[in-house]
Amino acid sequence: MSIREKLSEIVGSGNFSDDPSILNKYASDFSLTPAGAPSYVVKPKDSQEVAKVIQLANESAIPVVPVSSDVHFNGATIPKQGGIVLDLTRMKKVLEIDVDNRRVRIEAGVKWQQLTDELAKKGMRMIMPLLPPAGRSVLTDYLEREVPTNVVYDYGEPMQSLEVVWPTGEIFRMGSASVNGYPDSASKGANPSGPGIDFYRFVQGAQGTMGVVTWLNLKIESIPKIDKVFLAPVDDLAYAQDFLYRVLPRRIGQECLLLNNVDLAAIIAEKWPSDFESLRAALPPWTLVLVVSGLLRRPEEKIAYEENFLKQVVRNEFRKMEIQDNLPGVPGIGRKLLTLLRKPWPEDNTYWKNVWKGSSQSLFFIARPSATPLYADIVKKIVPQYGYPVNDVGMYIQPIEHNRACHMEFTFFYNPANAADKARMGDLYRNVAISLLNQGAFFSRPYGELAAMMYERASGYTMALKRLKKVFDPKNIMNPGNLCF
Amino acid sequence: MAIVKEAYKALEAIVGPKYISDDPAICEGYRSGPGGYESGLGYERVMTKIPAVVILPRNTEEVQRIVKVCNRYKVPYVPYSTGFYGPRSHCHVDNELLVDLKRLNDFEIDEKHFYAVVGSGVVYSPLQEEAMKRGAYVVIGGGGAQASVIANLIGDGWSPLSHRIGLPHRRILGTEVVLPDGELLKLGTLAVGEDPFWGDGIGPDLRGLLRGYTGLRGCLGIVTKMAVKLLPFQPERLVPTGISPNTALALPEKRVKWVNYQMPSKEAQVKAMFEIGKAEVGGAVTKVPLFWRAIAKAESKEQFWEIWGKENADTIKNFHIVRVLFIGFTSEEQMQYDENVIGDIMKELGAITRPTKPSDESWIKNADSAGMWLMCGSYVSVDYVIETLSQAVVHGNSYADLKWKYTPPLMPDYGDPGWFQSFELGHQGYSEFLIYWDQDEDTTGVDHFYLETSKMNIKNRYYTSLLGPHQPLYLTGPKYGPNYHQWLLKIKDEFDPLWVSHPPVPLAHDAFVDKAEWMKPLKDWESPKIPTKY
Amino acid sequence: MPKKQVSLDVRQLDNFVYDMSRCIKCKGCYWVEHTYMPGVNFSTRCPSNTWNDFDSYGAFGKMRIGMAVAEGRLPWTPKLLEIIYADPLCGACDVGCKRNLDLEIELSLEALRVKAVKDGAGPMPAHKKVAENIAKTHNQFGSPHESRKKWLSGDIQVASKADVLYFVGCSASYLNPEIARATAKILNASGTPFMLMADEWCCGNTLYSVGMVDEAQALARRNIDAVKATGAKTVILSCAEGYRMWKADYPKMLNVATKDLGFQVMHLVEFADAMVKKGTLKPTKPVNARAAYHDSCSISRLADSWTPWSGERGWMGTVSPALKRRRGTEGLYAPPRNLLKAIPGINFVEMPRTRENAFCCGAGRGTKEAFPQLASFSAKHRLDEVKSVGAELLVSACPWCKNNFAQVAKETGNSVKVMDIAELILASVKG
Repeated sequence: MSIREKLSEIVGSGNFSDDPSILNKYASDFSLTPAGAPSYVVKPKDSQEVAKVIQLANESAIPVVPVSSDVHFNGATIPKQGGIVLDLTRMKKVLEIDVDNRRVRIEAGVKWQQLTDELAKKGMRMIMPLLPPAGRSVLTDYLEREVPTNVVYDYGEPMQSLEVVWPTGEIFRMGSASVNGYPDSASKGANPSGPGIDFYRFVQGAQGTMGVVTWLNLKIESIPKIDKVFLAPVDDLAYAQDFLYRVLPRRIGQECLLLNNVDLAAIIAEKWPSDFESLRAALPPWTLVLVVSGLLRRPEEKIAYEENFLKQVVRNEFRKMEIQDNLPGVPGIGRKLLTLLRKPWPEDNTYWKNVWKGSSQSLFFIARPSATPLYADIVKKIVPQYGYPVNDVGMYIQPIEHNRACHMEFTFFYNPANAADKARMGDLYRNVAISLLNQGAFFSRPYGELAAMMYERASGYTMALKRLKKVFDPKNIMNPGNLCF
Repeated sequence: MAIVKEAYKALEAIVGPKYISDDPAICEGYRSGPGGYESGLGYERVMTKIPAVVILPRNTEEVQRIVKVCNRYKVPYVPYSTGFYGPRSHCHVDNELLVDLKRLNDFEIDEKHFYAVVGSGVVYSPLQEEAMKRGAYVVIGGGGAQASVIANLIGDGWSPLSHRIGLPHRRILGTEVVLPDGELLKLGTLAVGEDPFWGDGIGPDLRGLLRGYTGLRGCLGIVTKMAVKLLPFQPERLVPTGISPNTALALPEKRVKWVNYQMPSKEAQVKAMFEIGKAEVGGAVTKVPLFWRAIAKAESKEQFWEIWGKENADTIKNFHIVRVLFIGFTSEEQMQYDENVIGDIMKELGAITRPTKPSDESWIKNADSAGMWLMCGSYVSVDYVIETLSQAVVHGNSYADLKWKYTPPLMPDYGDPGWFQSFELGHQGYSEFLIYWDQDEDTTGVDHFYLETSKMNIKNRYYTSLLGPHQPLYLTGPKYGPNYHQWLLKIKDEFDPLWVSHPPVPLAHDAFVDKAEWMKPLKDWESPKIPTKY
Repeated sequence: MPKKQVSLDVRQLDNFVYDMSRCIKCKGCYWVEHTYMPGVNFSTRCPSNTWNDFDSYGAFGKMRIGMAVAEGRLPWTPKLLEIIYADPLCGACDVGCKRNLDLEIELSLEALRVKAVKDGAGPMPAHKKVAENIAKTHNQFGSPHESRKKWLSGDIQVASKADVLYFVGCSASYLNPEIARATAKILNASGTPFMLMADEWCCGNTLYSVGMVDEAQALARRNIDAVKATGAKTVILSCAEGYRMWKADYPKMLNVATKDLGFQVMHLVEFADAMVKKGTLKPTKPVNARAAYHDSCSISRLADSWTPWSGERGWMGTVSPALKRRRGTEGLYAPPRNLLKAIPGINFVEMPRTRENAFCCGAGRGTKEAFPQLASFSAKHRLDEVKSVGAELLVSACPWCKNNFAQVAKETGNSVKVMDIAELILASVKG
């Protein structure tokens, strides 16, 4: 039997394709990663089929590229060496919503819109990164360590236990889902750690190179009863960071983020280009967005004490922080932002980053909040050298856990139809990355070229990582060509 | 007992003659038992040895050089921070080197970014004090204030304060590890520079090699340096008061307060935890086993038994306390809010607020964990389970039933075998089961019980800490994952090809069962081939 | 298991096998008590283990070593002797352990020394020299016995008969006459008539501490009889080591209770504190200094009265009859502090490690003689702590502390002034 025959047998011929027009859909995405088509696409329906596909691929040393979302920005799912695209979008069940333990278990193909809607029916929500596209796989986004906009939880990541199919084809459950017979067990899967070793860490940030995660348990939270959106115009980023260093450790707020005028305008503009341009001009250099919420019990009291604390700090220590429940010149922005922050970016709308010029490249990393003004300056100095207007750079800072660190993201907008723009974008991106890296920016999720940059510097880490990879994927079939593999 | 002369010379050249010894009296001081955690039991008697050589390095570089010498000359070694964890942290084979890490005691703190950088020799209470001076706090694991911060964070690391940040491995930032073959692995931001502020991997996260829910006991390398998250606290000072043995921290009552609530039933006790988690309030929430109160009151072993002897299954059945630590992180107003919310919950559940001392002897500095040994002289936590509150409730019953079968030699607990609490604001539940016995009695029952607990968990399909090196790997391996043991052993083989790092862990408990005659009746699984000549 | 007869008699190491075998290696014997932990600096309480990092030098290591000795598994070697004797027996380990447990650590350590001596291996050569000196000249230094009262100056009134007897001790008599004079003058100033012993001999502190229990016991008998013969109701000492001997170790050796000695044992600080409160001692002259106070071990952790005990140990290790263990709660912590605060001009500052967490100076109980490097190390370490609180004056209540601190301060060029509390009180009373 040929490979195509074997694959058809596993998933059914209706879920197999090697039609070039289908294959081509997986060959490129919004990133600058060069196109690369797979040789086959299969759409399995469950873990058993996934396992059989991988076993087959392993026997024949054919690459496997797992894909769970409808939209991709980082090039990780573009096959670099051909092979089989394992399209998991058929596996889209919300398997369990466990309200008592505030847990949800979802398959890889469950996307943000679906999950948000289903959880809302039970009065629950998933904390989210900033504006995830409706068609993104939630599982993938959290595996890839997308940073949530919610800063208040000490426990950080919402990931719990999961099921993986290893590159050698075994189905394996980790964490407390590893008990025999799960989920028909007293163990609900709330613990991601173990057994024996923290396997789940190996599949995090792995861009599909360590195995295929088929389902995942995640923490869910209750929907706040009351929300109040505070906004502050920011001229001086360092001052705003000092303010955040002061208030966030006091466990203030739910969502808290900083957006520059470009990003914020792109997010809230309705009419293009008129709204966007006027907003971009009118908005302050940065806007601090802080959502204060009342939870299930005595919500007004919670809002009251947080508000009182904020007022006190502003009055006594940060007079220049004009934090209010509105932003001068932009009526209704608070309410609008709250909706945006609690829902995925709608499916039928072009993603906000791609509306302006057609495409964009985002460069993001983990940083010390105090370093963000420096990083902003570096970017502003470099981009003109590539003919890119300083005022066209989008910037977003996401505080993490009491502002102990932050996610910083620069977005460069460009027209993909313009070949010169596109070429220059690659150079700009690379050189900004190098400069930021040299100043301590930590690219913990290095997509595309960033990977080589990081892994060269982290030689000891790289060596150990390759040794680990050899244990799980001796034939290097899982999404080869990504990271350092 | 000795190691080959060339190896000794090479090791001595690394640390200098003052910091290495093979003197029998020195080595005897590093014996595991007979007292201590999990001591006075079969595993300790059968599996532990005193070292042939003890070495005290000062920093990562020295540790790395030592490990390379060990690989060169095939000298088995065990990393050792305080030795408090009992037999599993001590030498298991003859002619072994014990690497005493206490001199790795450097300390830095970044107040603004809420982390501290510690060496393996730094223990919790100095860290807690330094944190509190700066408006922060750490979760001091149940092991106590004397546990090594690093060892605890890669082994155990939980307490009622885990109500907010449960899993200790989420607190690990930039870290340095000397791998078993002597390669140096730096994790997090240390992989690319000197700043340890963040812990994520570059892509896949190799912090996964440090532990697996519970720890690897040092069989996969030596962690020499770690940046550890601190959590924001509140600004008022907790004042130490009293003279030993009656010392405590006086709490600033408007910002830090313990309150005991007496619940009308076990169900109410559990529901309280769920509700408090959902309400997302509180700094710590835990059930308190009754015998802990007896320990706190007793000034002697005899007094404890006098108090405890008055209890029985009936009195225990009706005693359900939920103990809550309120922390005014934000303000006095916020603490009032927390109290109001929990007050509402307690009212709904028919609970009574009990008078509670405005001081802390436990948990914040955890000065009294050694009290666990007061009652019987011997103690171990058999199982400490992080799962959901749902599993905690069911698991506790199975465990209590099994335990009763082995009482005596276990100390009677009248059906209250441990404590449980909420973790990560109720997303998880934690339960811990402690056992006590007199090691002068026949302890076969205790050894059996420990293993039977593992079988009970497997049979009932509970998640348990009794995995990895804690139990025979070939017993638990096939039943979790399945076959997690195969992956663990592959990783072990890859990074420690000579099996010099703490042999024969992670197969030590397998070896114990094979070596101990009295364990044979329980053996109904495969024996591994232990790939060492040691 | 069958019940075992046990007692607190250090002459039988077997009495402490339970205690040694139940050490859990929590290092409560090594760390400052966690409630009081001051941070990463000054975090330890054990001089031996802070001086030498091997576990074997901490009590927790010694408990394991003690088991091996009790079971005949370790021969006496120079290294073993060093481990056992490089230790001021300051009681920090005992009190630290007893915060949570009820193991007799101090007694185990004393019993190990008794065994070393019994086995002919101990004590250290320097200790044997001290023993010879005492046997020949009734003082530790081998100085002429007839010079023992040379410190007595003309301006001191000594009564031939009084309720109070001042036991001066070897150190004050021969090395620190300033302490003896100050004590005597304080007694005079408070209007308290006091006697001296007609023929004062060494209290035997070093002998007992190094395990020469027979020789120490003989001295104890002799000294107690001598005091009883004077009819004294109270014996006052200004040496912490001597205080401990009289109050705790004499009764211990003779198997009687402290309260049954036939007289009260007091340290000068207790006495002076009471006199200041009564108004009969008036510290009115200012002494201007920022001062730290060092809690000498033998009036702190080791100060608890002795009650003999023997009985049975049985189920779960419980003993009967009930035994109230000595946990260092009778330490004289308040009196010296009251005194310092009563002296005008003294700006009193606490060090990070105080009271039962104080770090021993390292000199006492035979340590300075046999292990001068340990004594110097401890003193230097403690002097760093004094510096850390910006104190210019260090006050203690024992000549051993004073001499060790003063010597090391001089050797290291440390300008801190070292005084005994007797001198300080006198300076404020008489000027």
